[in-house]
Amino acid sequence: MARFVLLRLLQTLLVLAIMSFVIYGLIGLMPGDPINLMLAADPHLTSADVARLKALYGLDQPLLKRYIAWAGAALSGNFGYSRLYATTAIAALAPRLANTALLMGLSFVLSLALALPLGALAARRPGSALDLCANLLSFAGISVPPFWLALMLILVFAVALGWLPPGGIATIGDGGILDRAWHLVLPVSVLTLASIGTYLRYMRAGMIEALRQDYVRTARAKGASEARVLWGHALRNALIPVITVVALSFGSLFSGALVTETMFAYPGMGKLIYDAILGNDFNVALAGLLFATLLVLLSNLAADIAYAAADPRISLR
Amino acid sequence: MLAAALSATALASPAGELSIGITQFPSTLNPDIDLMAAKSYVLAMTRRPITTYDASWHLVCMLCTELPTVANGLAVPFDLPGGRRGIRVTYTLQPNARWGDGVPLTSEDVRFTWQVGREPQSGLANSELYRRITAVEIKDDKTFTLVMNKLDYDYAAINDLEVLPEHLERAAAADPANYRIHTLYDTNPTNPGLYFGPYRISEVSPGSHIVLERNPTWWGKPPAFRRIVVWTVENTAALEANLLAGGLDMVAGELGFSLDQALAFERRHGDRFRVLYKPSLGYEHVDLNLDNPILADKRVRQALLYAVDRAAISRELFAGRQPVADSFVSPLDWVFTGDVPRYPYDPAKARALLEAAGWHAEGRGVRRDAAGRPLVLALATTAGNRVRELIEQVLQSQWQQVGIETRLKNLPPRVLFGDNLVKRQFTMALYAWISSPENDPRSVLRSDEIPSAANGFNGENFTGFRDAEADHLIDAIEIELDRDRRATLWHRLEALYAEKLPALPLFFRADAYVLPKWLHGVVPTGHQYPTTLWIEDWRVVGRTSGS
Amino acid sequence: MRLLRRALAERRVAWSGGVLLALALAAAAAPAIAGLLGVHAQTVDLYHRLAAPSLAHPLGTDELGRDLLLRLLEGGRISLLVGIVAALAAAGLGTAIGLVAGYRGGRVDAALMRLTDGIIALPLLPLLVVLAAIDLGKLGIPAALAQSEAASLYRIIVLVALVGWTTVARLVRGATLSLRSRDFVRAAVALGARPRRVVLVHILPNLASPIIVATTLSVGQVILLESVLSFLGLGIEPPLPSWGNMLTGAQETVGFAPQLALYPGLLIFVTVIACNFLGDGLQDLLDPQAHVS
Repeated sequence: MARFVLLRLLQTLLVLAIMSFVIYGLIGLMPGDPINLMLAADPHLTSADVARLKALYGLDQPLLKRYIAWAGAALSGNFGYSRLYATTAIAALAPRLANTALLMGLSFVLSLALALPLGALAARRPGSALDLCANLLSFAGISVPPFWLALMLILVFAVALGWLPPGGIATIGDGGILDRAWHLVLPVSVLTLASIGTYLRYMRAGMIEALRQDYVRTARAKGASEARVLWGHALRNALIPVITVVALSFGSLFSGALVTETMFAYPGMGKLIYDAILGNDFNVALAGLLFATLLVLLSNLAADIAYAAADPRISLR
Repeated sequence: MLAAALSATALASPAGELSIGITQFPSTLNPDIDLMAAKSYVLAMTRRPITTYDASWHLVCMLCTELPTVANGLAVPFDLPGGRRGIRVTYTLQPNARWGDGVPLTSEDVRFTWQVGREPQSGLANSELYRRITAVEIKDDKTFTLVMNKLDYDYAAINDLEVLPEHLERAAAADPANYRIHTLYDTNPTNPGLYFGPYRISEVSPGSHIVLERNPTWWGKPPAFRRIVVWTVENTAALEANLLAGGLDMVAGELGFSLDQALAFERRHGDRFRVLYKPSLGYEHVDLNLDNPILADKRVRQALLYAVDRAAISRELFAGRQPVADSFVSPLDWVFTGDVPRYPYDPAKARALLEAAGWHAEGRGVRRDAAGRPLVLALATTAGNRVRELIEQVLQSQWQQVGIETRLKNLPPRVLFGDNLVKRQFTMALYAWISSPENDPRSVLRSDEIPSAANGFNGENFTGFRDAEADHLIDAIEIELDRDRRATLWHRLEALYAEKLPALPLFFRADAYVLPKWLHGVVPTGHQYPTTLWIEDWRVVGRTSGS
Repeated sequence: MRLLRRALAERRVAWSGGVLLALALAAAAAPAIAGLLGVHAQTVDLYHRLAAPSLAHPLGTDELGRDLLLRLLEGGRISLLVGIVAALAAAGLGTAIGLVAGYRGGRVDAALMRLTDGIIALPLLPLLVVLAAIDLGKLGIPAALAQSEAASLYRIIVLVALVGWTTVARLVRGATLSLRSRDFVRAAVALGARPRRVVLVHILPNLASPIIVATTLSVGQVILLESVLSFLGLGIEPPLPSWGNMLTGAQETVGFAPQLALYPGLLIFVTVIACNFLGDGLQDLLDPQAHVS
């Protein structure tokens, strides 16, 4: 087991290193550079100033050299200086990470808490009203454009009814727990509704499959109670594919968070990365993207470990 | 609804406090590094420039006591080798000016700032001013003389020389290459010694808000508010929601709602708030690349302008708040003249001009020349700016009516202002200049300021405008110290611009200020120097508590 | 039981197929409707901005006075076209990869599946944002092509295909694996047929069902991706309408013009859900043994 984990960790680091080079190269392909933006804002800036500042910010060296310099610094914990936020890249990322973790965490827990029981119950009575509802919900969840869902919720709950705020993380002048929770309702709802669909489908399918198996018939024949059959035997086996799917969905959860944060002006990491890319703050964009990738790779690893632990038939190679 | 009502009463600013909403957060608080509207808005409450333009667009002293002029003897021209002239200007600082930690503000601070500015690696953005000043002679603690190697009509305007506290910043500036990283304005922004204005910064929450408290060392009129909090809310819907709920008292015009959002807001809530519209120096126009063979023909350029109903756009999209521009100088600028060639909406005339230029119509389709080539032009603008994208599509549609096909291309600002304009890869580009009153148009209109590979892409004459008379006028304006004679030169230049049309003048942008009814004294300036420079004039009139 | 499921599946296929067909026809009919109404999707009419529905404009007008119904139909044409082309491209790529993985098995299979899982697991949107933002000129693409109107279309098709092939690949791989052990394939191999022949002549034709199902499912995924990118301003650029980019400015006008936000998104929703129902129904119909994937 330990060997397996170690091997996978090494693989993860390798993938991360490759990704860092790829992303660094991609960012190098982005057009223009930040200094020219300053040109537009300052009527007195001359082009001689522009050339001087370009050299100052080190933008006139070839790509590979810049990557090696960046990688060297990154390995010692220095991810560079953020042009947009006037602080180190890490200092710009850290507070936003907490916000995104809260958003993603709440949605994750909520969508699992809703999807798993619903999926299991729907599987027990296929074709029933509950099953149809669950089916519809899951299809809707995977088909709805999340930014449109956000727009519609804002339209109904913030503009028309005025019950919930249209954006932001807290009301100005407040910021207490209740106020922050009030501001989280809509973003969490959007993210939850978007991810619930996939989990529901897999739970339901996995449960149906599990309920068809021989050991269930055996357990019933042996006189085990229905509840024990459902929650004891079938669930454990149904959860196996669900775990895989859940862990693989971290990536799309993060993407969903990016859209949600942008729609609700929620100061999280997704929005930070988006602003940094479009604002030419390469250091922050790079650090943020790598962090997101690391998060996802680690969750894959966790999935594999959990999968192996849950299913004794799988042997770890 | 109940929750909203409750929060409205609970969150109204307590007496003596003001909450302002803006849509961006400053990327740095150092006054001399880069020019961001959000930063200058906040810093204007905590410092004063030596000179600036006021709301009437006159040059005034803020940190100095008297503007140097040749007449009062404080400005003395002298001859330089090579036949040029320089000038020595003497300023006296406000006698009671002190930094927030009690240290007096002296000429040493000015000299220190100049030294940092001259250092090529320090990252200070606008170095033209610091290069122009060749020496700083200190007469005493409060009086100093700047020796400049250029004599321009605006010799006394040193608005961008924002004084740095020598006693605090010397350490950071010792390593010029890393000054922008070590400056106390970013590493310790709440240090009172960094500020000398009516307020100082007492708390900074990056990305969220900045808190300002009264500065006891301020020498001028005591400001009305004990505390001011500037909140950054990027989402304009949230901005509006907070305004209505009482969390924000006002929204800054310099960085707040777009014009049509403000118009819609006023329609819905005009009873609770006052909305001020002030045309600004933002000159929205379409730069035309004069090296493009189609656009090289003046008749085509004129046709492009005749075919656009700018008055209707201003009326329908902006409720008439954004005046139509006929040349590049704003109507509020003292050198403005309306006596320039005008191009009212006249599609018939546009068609006639195009025909004369050799572009023949085929029914309702795109025009073609004798060789069968279609009249197709590309138009670029900044992506993400909804209003510009709307204008772009209106232009496209109206040009289509006279047989011109337009391809639209939206680019992120960094691209448009990067290679696209600087390397002159554009055909037509829609964007805005932001300038200061009576801004010298040398870098934009003079024929030796056309960026090219040969000159290392220096200059901002993106259109490629080459006109001997314009060159001569610009040179003459720069050295003409007599206001009346200078005005005549300006008028001729504006008329020339409108006649030759290197660009299509569209509008002067308007900013919308949303203020509570009880706040008086906010006077929009219309140029890049913000309203907060006069924050001590803002006062509360007739406000009931808890409203 | 089987008959019941077939009937249900057929109903799903029928309904969703019908909806999609109706949408496609309406979108294709856009030019005809334009002629009937006498207006053009791009015609700006400053004097009738945000007008209410009327005879001349059945759904009203948008913020520049353009007919909303026509914009929706034109947008549909482009969104559907991009969706189908990108899905086909993704399907092609995915089929190739799935075939190789399933047929070769062993380490090649493991490597390719790791790649597939890797791509599925990546935080796609931030990476797509970076990819969409790059300057084509720096890649060596001539400026004339890079700045043409078609460039944004090509770019979004390539981007979406680059990440959308995974669904097809996994389904095809699964099907290939099970086909590989079937008798007629083993017979062909035993008779000495070269691998390429085995794959092309024996396996590929039998993959029709999984490929059709996977492609249908991925059309929905592709349309969602395109709409998000266009919404962020990185996909199809105005004035070319697409359902996604019609929503870009909608957040600012949602207070006084909610219909501009409602319709485009609703159409995306209906289209994608129909694609998913169709794919699901087809799967039950054609390939009932396959697992949900």
